Amino acid sequence: MINAIEVENLTKYYEKFLAVDHISFTVKQGEIFGFLGPNGAGKTTTQRMLTTLLTPTEGGILINGHDLARDAYPAKQKIGLVPEESNVYTELTAWDNLMFTARLYRVPRGERAKRAQELLETFGLWEKRTVRAENFSKGMRRRLSIAMAIIHKPALLFLDEPTPGLDAQSIRAIWELIRRMNAEGTTVFITTHQIEEANQLCNRVAIISHGKIAAIDTPERLKANFRRVQSVEVAFDREMAEQGSGLESLPGVTTQVKVADKMRLYTEDPSALLPRVTQYAESHNLRIVSLNTLGPSLEDVFLEVTGGQIGVIKHETEEKPHRRGMGGRQ
Amino acid sequence: MSRLNIQRLRDELAQAWTVAVKDVRVYYLRPGMIMFGFLMPFFMFFSFSVRREVGAAEGVARLLAMTIFFTAGAAGPFIIPTERRIGTYDRLLAAPMSLLTLLLGKTAVGTFFAVAVSGVALLAGLLFFRADILQPGLLVAGILLGAFSFATLGLMFGSMPTTNPGDVQMPSTLLRWGLLFVSGVFIPLSEMAPAARAIAYLSPLTYAQDVMNHAVLGSGLINPWLDLAVLALSGILFLLPSIKMHQRARVLGH
Repeated sequence: MINAIEVENLTKYYEKFLAVDHISFTVKQGEIFGFLGPNGAGKTTTQRMLTTLLTPTEGGILINGHDLARDAYPAKQKIGLVPEESNVYTELTAWDNLMFTARLYRVPRGERAKRAQELLETFGLWEKRTVRAENFSKGMRRRLSIAMAIIHKPALLFLDEPTPGLDAQSIRAIWELIRRMNAEGTTVFITTHQIEEANQLCNRVAIISHGKIAAIDTPERLKANFRRVQSVEVAFDREMAEQGSGLESLPGVTTQVKVADKMRLYTEDPSALLPRVTQYAESHNLRIVSLNTLGPSLEDVFLEVTGGQIGVIKHETEEKPHRRGMGGRQ
Repeated sequence: MSRLNIQRLRDELAQAWTVAVKDVRVYYLRPGMIMFGFLMPFFMFFSFSVRREVGAAEGVARLLAMTIFFTAGAAGPFIIPTERRIGTYDRLLAAPMSLLTLLLGKTAVGTFFAVAVSGVALLAGLLFFRADILQPGLLVAGILLGAFSFATLGLMFGSMPTTNPGDVQMPSTLLRWGLLFVSGVFIPLSEMAPAARAIAYLSPLTYAQDVMNHAVLGSGLINPWLDLAVLALSGILFLLPSIKMHQRARVLGH
């Protein structure tokens, strides 16, 4: 089967600044592929090259087997694009925005109204179809922007940071829609800096840092490859100071991070660390309120491969580490 | 031409039309368009014509040339940088159509605007100045080709790789005002010094003014067919830098 996306040695310089550095990857048909990286890592630049909005300095791109450098037209017919900013025409109504896009993508005349109605109903905008988009909330504009991107039923949907700034309900609705479209056969390429989004949605994730792909695999395999970022999380009946408690000096602890009222102790061997933590509690006259071992989260992997410091960067939707410990609070 | 190519051509024409209609609906009533496209030619006309003993027919020919010039060129420098800034231009660039189709759609926006406002100017000329149109066919051809030429001139400025309409308005306004004063609009070509006339021949507005003189006054200094040919050719030529600048913008990331 032809890959949905094949990227070979893709490079982009903005004058002398190297934004994307000779990256290669493929996205299979039917995948949800996440492009994860911190701000300025090269995610959006890569996506703009994949959607013909930016000319690569070097390298090749095939979209559904079509070479973008030779003839982008057949590839463009199969692509839907949801950019980071909801680029709807605020002077037009929701209905007119959709009809404009349907005409632009040459959706057959007889199907335009039917598809527009279906999408407006799916996105909860049918009642607002005659309202100009300038009166829409951010979440409504986002939903309309996505509806406009899929009215021609693209085989490949690109989403650039689809959910930042949205309320939890809108985020869940958009995730659900992406899953549903994917189940119906659409390949999805998401660029995001939100780790939980990639963890929840993606079959595979590429982590990009400083223009290079630092890791690429399924979220679970990425986590499994980073055993060194396992941890033990403990809460005592008295709150501990971040520094000077002595926990960071326990044998096997590589890093200590205070997370709310708990201490997270990173280690390569949680089972060896557990008895040391209980001994520490006894010797310091502390009662353990909760004690858990945590597998590496995608955030840990992300920070590890992008050179971030564990516990320093906090994201809007922080991923809950995979808990597999004993008792205590969850 | 194969059936596939004919279908593609039909699609591209429909897409250019779709872009043009959308722009008409979204932008025609924006203050920038009204100021630079609708009010400016009338202000300029009254500033330079009132109390200067301009004959009715001569005044109408001048008003029509200025209207086409200002109105057609108002759309490009305003719409494209605005769309780049708010991100809607990406939607057009990512759509399955050629860059030329997109640019022709944008050209049509300025052309329609100029044709419509010229209609208002013509009506004003007929009602208030009691002018006669001696060659209506030439008038229509002159308005259409003049509007096309000046719309692509405006498009050329709009294609500059920037997201700020202000960056474009300044050079575009400077050039347009410069052309206005060297193009035989206020001083007839026949009264110009040879050096000034040589400069005037470089401006497409000279040919638009001359063709309006033919249509309204019944006489001009240049062959009207040459006027029309220059307007058509300059319109096509102005598209070339627009294409180059769009390609440059794709490299720069604007």
